[in-house]
Amino acid sequence: MKLLLLARVHLGAVAVLMLLTLSACLLVSGLPRVMQAAFDQALRQSLSSAPAVRVDLTAVLASSGAAQDLRERAQFEAQDEQLRELVPAPLKNLVPPPGTGTGHASAKTYKTPVHESGGWTFINLGWLSDSDRRVDWVEGRAPGEPTQMRWRGMTIPLFEVGIVGEARDLMHLQLGDTKIIGESNYAAVKIVGIFRAKDAADSYWTHNSDILHVRQVVPPGKLDSEWYTTALIPDAGLSALSGDDRNLSYQWVLPIHHRSAAALDVPELASGVNEFERRMKLQPGIFAGSTLMTGLPTVLGHFLTALATAQTVMFLVLGGLLLVALGVIVLAVQLLIDRMDHGLSLTRARGGSLRQVAGTGAGLVALAVAPAAVTGYALSYLFPGPVLPIVHLGPAAVIGTALAFAAARIAVTHRAPLHERRDDVVAARPSVRRITLELLVVGLALAGAYLLRTRGLTTQVAQEGQDPFLLLVPLALTLAAALITIRCYPYPLRLFVRLAARMRPAVPFLGLTRAARARSFSVLPVLILLPALGVSVFASVISDGVAGTQRLAAWQSVGAPFKISSERELTAEVVERVRQVPGVRRVVPAQTATVQVGHTPERAQIIAVDLARWRKLLAGTPISLPALPATASGIPALVSHELRGRGTFEIGWQSRLRITTQGVIPAVPGFFTQGKFIVVPFDVNQRPAVNTLLIDGNATPAALAQAAPHAKVESRAGALAAIQDDPLTSTVRDTLLVVTVALASYALIAVVITLVIGAADRARALSFLRTLGLSDRQAQRLTVLEILPMILVTALVGLALGLGLPAALGPGVDLSSYAGGLSVGDYELDLITPAALAAGLAAVAVLGAYAHTAISRRRSLGAVLRVGDLA
Amino acid sequence: MNPTLSELEAQASQGEAAFGGDAHIVCDNLVRIYKTEGVEVVALQGLDLLVQKGELLAIVGASGSGKSTLLNVLSGLDIPTAGLAKVAGMDLLAMTAKDRLRYRREVVGFVWQQTARNLLPYLSARENVELPMKLAGKARRGRASELLELLGVGYCADRKAPEMSGGEQQRVAIAVALANSPQLILADEPTGELDSETSEEVFDALRKANRELGVTVVVVTHDPLVSEQVDRTVGIRDGRTSSETLRREDAEGQIIAEEYAVLDRVGRLQLPRDFMNALEMERRVRLELESDHIGVWPAREEPSGEQ
Repeated sequence: MKLLLLARVHLGAVAVLMLLTLSACLLVSGLPRVMQAAFDQALRQSLSSAPAVRVDLTAVLASSGAAQDLRERAQFEAQDEQLRELVPAPLKNLVPPPGTGTGHASAKTYKTPVHESGGWTFINLGWLSDSDRRVDWVEGRAPGEPTQMRWRGMTIPLFEVGIVGEARDLMHLQLGDTKIIGESNYAAVKIVGIFRAKDAADSYWTHNSDILHVRQVVPPGKLDSEWYTTALIPDAGLSALSGDDRNLSYQWVLPIHHRSAAALDVPELASGVNEFERRMKLQPGIFAGSTLMTGLPTVLGHFLTALATAQTVMFLVLGGLLLVALGVIVLAVQLLIDRMDHGLSLTRARGGSLRQVAGTGAGLVALAVAPAAVTGYALSYLFPGPVLPIVHLGPAAVIGTALAFAAARIAVTHRAPLHERRDDVVAARPSVRRITLELLVVGLALAGAYLLRTRGLTTQVAQEGQDPFLLLVPLALTLAAALITIRCYPYPLRLFVRLAARMRPAVPFLGLTRAARARSFSVLPVLILLPALGVSVFASVISDGVAGTQRLAAWQSVGAPFKISSERELTAEVVERVRQVPGVRRVVPAQTATVQVGHTPERAQIIAVDLARWRKLLAGTPISLPALPATASGIPALVSHELRGRGTFEIGWQSRLRITTQGVIPAVPGFFTQGKFIVVPFDVNQRPAVNTLLIDGNATPAALAQAAPHAKVESRAGALAAIQDDPLTSTVRDTLLVVTVALASYALIAVVITLVIGAADRARALSFLRTLGLSDRQAQRLTVLEILPMILVTALVGLALGLGLPAALGPGVDLSSYAGGLSVGDYELDLITPAALAAGLAAVAVLGAYAHTAISRRRSLGAVLRVGDLA
Repeated sequence: MNPTLSELEAQASQGEAAFGGDAHIVCDNLVRIYKTEGVEVVALQGLDLLVQKGELLAIVGASGSGKSTLLNVLSGLDIPTAGLAKVAGMDLLAMTAKDRLRYRREVVGFVWQQTARNLLPYLSARENVELPMKLAGKARRGRASELLELLGVGYCADRKAPEMSGGEQQRVAIAVALANSPQLILADEPTGELDSETSEEVFDALRKANRELGVTVVVVTHDPLVSEQVDRTVGIRDGRTSSETLRREDAEGQIIAEEYAVLDRVGRLQLPRDFMNALEMERRVRLELESDHIGVWPAREEPSGEQ
């Protein structure tokens, strides 16, 4: 038969099928790409935001003697080249060529004391392969070749060095100074220049912070500080630098560039690092004795943990979406087959073989589905992101399902050439086999959910990939819920039918009876509506949970709408200025410090604040603080878990204070979450040195910053934005939204298609009833009553399923990495969104039913009866 | 002398073949039981029917008497539960799915009562006629036009079903049924939805097919206009053939119709209900064999005789 002609005849159904296929393929192919692109972006962000010293690959070699000395730049370059050859393939893409990025080599001495400084001052010597690109000489000149000098009867090498400006200021070194360094093999350094970094903010300097900054260290048990700086020597200085004389180490830094990093390669990257280290050890040469310093596996590990959760949620909702989309497409195919039924029956009766008939039906479905699927697939290339297997498999699955269903359905229907349906007979009793199978599915689902909760999930997601169990359990639960619904919903309905039979009006009885005797394909809408509602409610619960926890996390991290903190004291004028900033309602001053506990080296964080005022400031927010009860003796205090059980003890702050534990506080929002910390009243100190202000109101951060220069202004809104702007978080949120909307639309389409499929049948029944005196209004009510039980029951079960899934999955879905580190444990059941979803669906379904009867009323009674007779 | 086993076997098979002989349609003790969800409906309860090649036969009967079931069985759309049904030498009970398809393609054509059910509304008359040929893979150029011309609807060749009258549609439907040159046409109330004038045209078309193409035609009908114009009318009651009416022309060219009751192979006879009612025959009758007939008498009131 001419397929194009058939397509034109059944244009409506074909168009519905095309649109559904197009949208499904677009979503199924596009969403994973967008998600993967976001995952990649998140990886790049986590690589680029980590300091270079953490992610770069640094080979460190401690020189053990003159034999290993590298005296020329060329030697470093040769070794660098050799090192780069050892980089395994997956990592190679991320390592840019020599001379770019943060890649460089260096030679540094460490713990090189200045003679006669009492061991308190250290001037290390450092050589950087790219110092000419990295520093500017601001005073003096760049150091030159080393020479020799006589000192105490010895000939010692004299290095010309440059120091950083900070060392001059803090370590009292002057241009022109000559210092003797070393403990036994002395050398002299002459300071000939002062330098500064060309770009001090460059991540490069995290490798060489010892050169750029003076380090002040208080050794344990001492009161004074040791001072360290590393002075820069030129290439020529290398010739006089030997491991024999000094603690000397060489570093080669292979930079990791985030731009070409892809989330899919992360497991390979992690193993690539191990492989690189193994090759270094095995390679004959100097690297055999070196160590690889890199935090890359840790950074990647953290990323993978966050990614695994995102993937889990995405798999769940995308799987649900695919399932529902397939269901709706199958329903649309059913509609098309129903429309073709007359032609196919006639063809079969007139001598069409089963293959010809099924081929025609499947051909028409293919004509509708294939171009739409290809278009959707092509359109998905407009989205950014890598091409995953699912991008190809999704549309293929859609086409395959539609064609297979069409062919199978037609083949079954037309296997015998004459198919006479007896609609007047009650449905057959389900076979024992079917009941057993259904019981098995329900049992497996419940057992799976129970096991998931008791055993938990594979925690090694990064190493072992997704736990397939996590993905199967929701599927099984949904299927079980659908089976139970389909099997059980006639029972309450029969009760209603019995009640309705006793009532005077006939419409409820007729409507409910028709609902109870609905044909078996009403199973399909249940199978679609249930996961659609289940997954969208699940998505909205998760989404709400994440959003709520993000808000909580933002409050936890700042502790007030605004927080101003300063390293120096905030003077009374500053506090007053802050108070005067427009929009500021309340200001609670606080002092924070690190104090000595007792007379031991034990330290604890402390905050002195008026808890009552702070509590008032936090009234009506998601966080709360305990009250601080007064005490008869000593200063009342709240302590952290680690300090509990000490009763009354002393601390050393501005003076010795005796505090009495009045309670335990797990965390102080905005300040401390772990370790040892203490909360005391604001006025414990003789002279309160305010360094923190907690502010309520709607001032702008800029205005506050202006009022308190040199202080750090944090706002809750800013913290929230920072949490939400994370690419993974926003992807999870956006995808959940898109999926919810798509699922809701699919659910509506499913209801409408169900109505349309049953239209002819219903129209005939209604026409017969109208000849018996059924009014139009009654006919409308009848239609609504017929479809309503299925929608209501499915909506309720779907709602329950969606609300129950997070609880059932429990530990499987850890969204803490999207909620500023707080665990999204107890999902607050915000019933409004899910209930609105379910109610909206029911309402639109009812409207659809009304619209449907309104349209069918236009046809004349005789015509309907006649058509009904022919069908 | 006792016959051997093989002789007995040959006798038995001869006896089987003897019923109906070389008739075109042979139905012997045909039974069709519908089982739907545990409810059994016996639609045919041992029906016998013989139709010769080239015959034009009408089947009449009340609604629910099994006419349509018989037609569905004969058209190969339905499979009888038991008995024997042969059309053109093909056993309808023993056919495989492939045979059945070939049977529908080559042996039989049919016309339903509902005009709209016979034709695909989006195809023209010509395309509708060509459809069965294409399905069978034997499209012949010009065949569709020939058939349409023969049945007097050549002018409808390019019209679609909604553009034709009911009578035209039915005549096109007959052309569709004839497309693959079948040996048998089955028509289920082909004039059921038509007025008498149009009915006449449609029946003429059927008769033309019968006379000019030599096709056996079996028409199920309620229409006396149709049943009075065929040579033989078979009445069906409660799933059995109950009566036959034969028409022949007498010497003056007058059509004489004679109604016969059907005597089945084991000697059962259905008496017309009117006859039974008129003589209040119930449960039992008395038979008396005369020299040239059998008399049927109501049972006598003999209360003592029962004991």
